Amino acid sequence: MNAKIKTNCRDARGLLGKLGEYINFSTPWVQRHIANCPKCQKRFAAVSKVYLAMSLVKACPHNIDLLKRANIQTVDSLSHGVRGTAKADKLRIAMPQMKLAEKFSPVRGALANTAACIAIMLFAKAGILNSMEKFQTDSKKVIENYYEKNIGSELTDEIFS
Amino acid sequence: MLSRASISIEKGLSMSSRAESYRRLWDFAVPDSTIASQKWVLSAMQSLGPELITMLWRILGNEQDVCDCYQDTFLHLAHIETGQKKPSNIRAYVFRSASNTAISILRRKLIEQKNLCRIAENPKSQTPVGGELDSGSLQRQLRLNIAKLPEYLRDVVALHDLAEFPYSQVAKILKITQGAARVYRHKAVQLLAVWMKE
Repeated sequence: MNAKIKTNCRDARGLLGKLGEYINFSTPWVQRHIANCPKCQKRFAAVSKVYLAMSLVKACPHNIDLLKRANIQTVDSLSHGVRGTAKADKLRIAMPQMKLAEKFSPVRGALANTAACIAIMLFAKAGILNSMEKFQTDSKKVIENYYEKNIGSELTDEIFS
Repeated sequence: MLSRASISIEKGLSMSSRAESYRRLWDFAVPDSTIASQKWVLSAMQSLGPELITMLWRILGNEQDVCDCYQDTFLHLAHIETGQKKPSNIRAYVFRSASNTAISILRRKLIEQKNLCRIAENPKSQTPVGGELDSGSLQRQLRLNIAKLPEYLRDVVALHDLAEFPYSQVAKILKITQGAARVYRHKAVQLLAVWMKE
């Protein structure tokens, strides 16, 4: 029993660094182990505090015009020849924009389904599905012939009927 | 009355023309090579700006500090001497130098805070009562502890956790392997956990 707890302890310690990436507290064996191991309880509590602080830092939003202000401050301290360019003017009014992946995250599932449907339609149109079926029947025939040669036709019929 | 107005207009015109001539003089004094070197900095600002602001905000948590650090980073990039070669990996250069500047600002703040606590003679008055979760102090604690990390661990935490770069990009920026980046991050989290427990 003790040996098992120790092994789980080692595994749990190894997974501490991956917490939040690959495993979470809801994994049954992690929960079971933490419930019985006081050392791991302390370790997980300490690491969780770090992750909590990190998520708080990430969740804290800044003003929407921060990029604009930082750009203005920087551009205004560059040389005159650069300040008047169109690019500099663009930077002066720049606003943070959502990444493409973030923009489409609510409709990601629907997009994946549509893409899968389109792919199937294209395959069907290109005759790939037919050729796959043909390949399947041909290979079945080859296997049947092989069995016929080696174990006789009666047994082969029994297997493939 | 009219003559007085015309005199003031003339004065205004002469002042604006003088300002224009000074501007020309200033432009003349700035060599073309400097202008050219600063133009690609604008492109770098355009492409890296939003991500850099996010990382700096998460490290510093203060908007004025973010603006100062952002300015410092790009000005440093713009004023690289003309004889020197432009950095081969601008992304790596910008993010590393920005995180270093941000950390030095944080350290300076830490020292100032310590001095203030010493003056106040009652440093425990700011801590929450009854073990309550104070998100502000937790964030501050994390930032200060990140500033205490050794450089090789700190860079990985800043790039992977605060700038949210995948390990492949972190490895590319820091010129280490992906495995090493993972190990450093694991070590950093362990250290932070020990320090934050105290």
